[in-house]
Amino acid sequence: MTLLELEGVTASYGPVQVLDGVSLRVPDNGAVGILGANGAGKTTTLRAISGTVRAGGRIVFDGKDIRGLRPDRVAALGIAHVPEGRGTLGDLTVRENLRVGAYLRKDAKGVAQDIDYCLDLFPNLQNRIRSNASALSGGEQQMLAVARAIMSKPRLLLLDEASLGLAPSTAKNVYDAIRRLRIESGIAMVVVEQNANLAFTLVDSATVLETGRNVLTGTSAELRGMDEIRRAYLGG
Amino acid sequence: MARVVEAPASSAASSFRRRPWVRRAGPLVLLVVLVALPLMLPEGANDTLARIGVFAVAVLGLNVVMGYTGQVSLGQIFFLGLGAYVTAYGVTNDWNIVLVFVLACLVPAVVGLVVALAAARLGGLAIAMVTIALPIVGVPLAKRLSDYTGGSQGLSARFTDAPEGTGLYDDQWQLYLVFLIGGTVFLLTRNLVRGRYGRAFAIVKGNENVASSMGISPYRYKVLAFTIASLIGGVSGFLYMVVVQYTSPETMSFGHSIELLVAMVIGGAASIVGSILGGAFYVVVPDLTNAIDPSLTALLQGALLLVVLFLLPGGLASLPRALTRGRRRSRAGRGPAAPPTTPSSTTGSGTAAEEPETERQGHA
Amino acid sequence: MDKFIQLVVDGLSTGSVYAALALAIVLVHQATGLINFAQGGLAVLAAYVAWWLTNQGVPLVLAILLSIVFSFALGALVERYLMRRFERGDPDTAVVVTIGLLTLITGVAGWLWTYNNQQFPSLFSLETVSLLGVSVSIRSIGTTLAIVVVMVLLQALFAGTKLGLALRAVAVNPQSAAFSGLPVGRLLMVGWGLAAALGAVAGALVAPQLTLTPGMLDNALVYALAAVILGGLTSPVGVVVAAWIIGVLENLAAVYVGFIGFDLKVAVPFILIFVVLIVRPQGLFGRKVVVRV
Repeated sequence: MTLLELEGVTASYGPVQVLDGVSLRVPDNGAVGILGANGAGKTTTLRAISGTVRAGGRIVFDGKDIRGLRPDRVAALGIAHVPEGRGTLGDLTVRENLRVGAYLRKDAKGVAQDIDYCLDLFPNLQNRIRSNASALSGGEQQMLAVARAIMSKPRLLLLDEASLGLAPSTAKNVYDAIRRLRIESGIAMVVVEQNANLAFTLVDSATVLETGRNVLTGTSAELRGMDEIRRAYLGG
Repeated sequence: MARVVEAPASSAASSFRRRPWVRRAGPLVLLVVLVALPLMLPEGANDTLARIGVFAVAVLGLNVVMGYTGQVSLGQIFFLGLGAYVTAYGVTNDWNIVLVFVLACLVPAVVGLVVALAAARLGGLAIAMVTIALPIVGVPLAKRLSDYTGGSQGLSARFTDAPEGTGLYDDQWQLYLVFLIGGTVFLLTRNLVRGRYGRAFAIVKGNENVASSMGISPYRYKVLAFTIASLIGGVSGFLYMVVVQYTSPETMSFGHSIELLVAMVIGGAASIVGSILGGAFYVVVPDLTNAIDPSLTALLQGALLLVVLFLLPGGLASLPRALTRGRRRSRAGRGPAAPPTTPSSTTGSGTAAEEPETERQGHA
Repeated sequence: MDKFIQLVVDGLSTGSVYAALALAIVLVHQATGLINFAQGGLAVLAAYVAWWLTNQGVPLVLAILLSIVFSFALGALVERYLMRRFERGDPDTAVVVTIGLLTLITGVAGWLWTYNNQQFPSLFSLETVSLLGVSVSIRSIGTTLAIVVVMVLLQALFAGTKLGLALRAVAVNPQSAAFSGLPVGRLLMVGWGLAAALGAVAGALVAPQLTLTPGMLDNALVYALAAVILGGLTSPVGVVVAAWIIGVLENLAAVYVGFIGFDLKVAVPFILIFVVLIVRPQGLFGRKVVVRV
């Protein structure tokens, strides 16, 4: 079953056309990568899905057309966006950040359990539970951002450059935890990543964007083998 | 109907202005008009023009700190009042008029400097929050210092009767004085905001962090802008005494301070022409609304300000540009042409604000 | 000594009114990063509504409660239809919008109800009671207590409830909040509504003393802004304490400092600001008073 399908999605910032017909298919429990150079439209594709940028074309989630919905409505349908730059709530404590993540949920018991799960997934956050998010290190903030997204019990996670600005070992830790999350919860994912090698540890398939268009789509195994593509787009 | 006529005229005017001979002859024509006008207009019109000149200078000062440097000031009227009081006090004590003028500039400038040195430390909107106190403290202070200010009665000072031998009426002489002093202030300010300092002000307004990284101290330039604004406010206070010849605590009331800010925004922030339009707005609109219903004045001013902020954020001074842009857009046939309708609907209120000015001159 | 304590208690009561207005300003600033200069104007309008209702025969307490509800709705509508457009833009423009709103509201009140002073009935008796051997007015105690109760409720809302948490989340980062499903627009409306309701409480409490006029709270706004500067925009507790300090100090200065007297006591908070700025530029309590650079 297809969970999310994008077809011919367009978007522009003012006069600048950023997306020029992007297509994407994410199956239930699947994880799809979006790769490409800077400015290819990766982040904008995620923003089109989450409703933070006005888009054309077709965006269907779970059989429902979600194009043009407000971001909070999209979130309510079960799509959690972890934005580039993390978007943690600086003046709130780690625990409060997690509670904000669970804003739409009514099951207090489940929320408490999920907070424990997040702290188990990201043990670094355990000691910082009472700290303001702004006091965390970059890696911890990224973990918190992912944890906050999980707290809404999403069916689809949009992950934007989770390794950006992190030391390689920290980035690997973050991705290890996300992979464990994927295995344990089966949340579907759309993963935008500059570091293709890191992305391939998580996703089953990927599409490569160039100036707002798909130029190449395939399974991770297929893409990993293509040396020239790798050199050209994947920076590896 | 007037809209249809006005729209093409404004674009014609802008291409007309670009021709080199117009640019050279323009100031000359303006000068001739300024010299001839007081001689030709009736007394009431001269008086209205002179008052517009006074408040245009006050608005100009506000524009330096707010329009060009982006620091909201709610205290500009205080400096006008201060300048007026210094002038009145000096004149009643028979000081040399040049000395009085210098003091009317310097005293407000120094007070402004002191206020700014403290307020600018807070950054952001704190200047607005501190300067709001100036008129509110200023009024009771003026009442209290009755030895110098005449208390609630205020002070009168006549020193601008037309000199013997000029053959001028008082109102003509006064208008010439306003043109001369006000014009000089406008010219100097225009040079200031177009020069090095103006660029620094604009950078501070745009982004203080960028300014800092370029070695421009936001603090220093905010203090400078505020001080200059206070000085110009002092000049407008002097001119106020030239024209009105009377000042009281009411001159610098909180309500007037707000009206001055409203006038600046409606005239056009960061615009020299906008300052003149703002002065006209300040003088003419209350006269008009008072004629209709005095209790409507505040309501209309508030509503007008909000309408302008919504539809024409650049104020009346940006109207020609907005119109050309709007027409260009509708000519290109892009979209449902929503923007073009907005500026033109403001044209109505714009002309309503300006045209009666000439009407009034006829009556008076 | 008797007089001194009376002055302090009265100062606390007027300080409480400034505190309510200052808290409303902080609330709006927290939610939208703006300083709302129309906060006092909105409160005056609420007081007029309550006054008008009492004239229609509505009991005072009910009239005040209704005016609070009215203010909540008006605040929410102002956010949605007036401020929303300017919120994420240039803060200076937004401030000018609130000044336009202040002018408009003052104008509406003056147009509907004239600029003449109107008598507003007091919630509390004007009699005095003996407290620890000193006689103080019931009104002063009542006003102070009412504001303290409101503040405690507000604190509980922000620290202990989901709505409070959501309001804070939106204030910090509206986009992130939306990603967690928070209805940002509606929460901003709630924030403005709460602030306006708080102002309505202040208006109803202070109107009997000042008598009702469209410009009734112009001075109080100045005090409230001073409290906000002194207390620091990030610290509700600091703002309240600063407002009390201002209320008490201005009362004492009016009586004991010859030059100041009652007419010039409005200068007191600003003398205080100057002193504080020189001694402690970050404000009395706030982490920093950098308003928004």
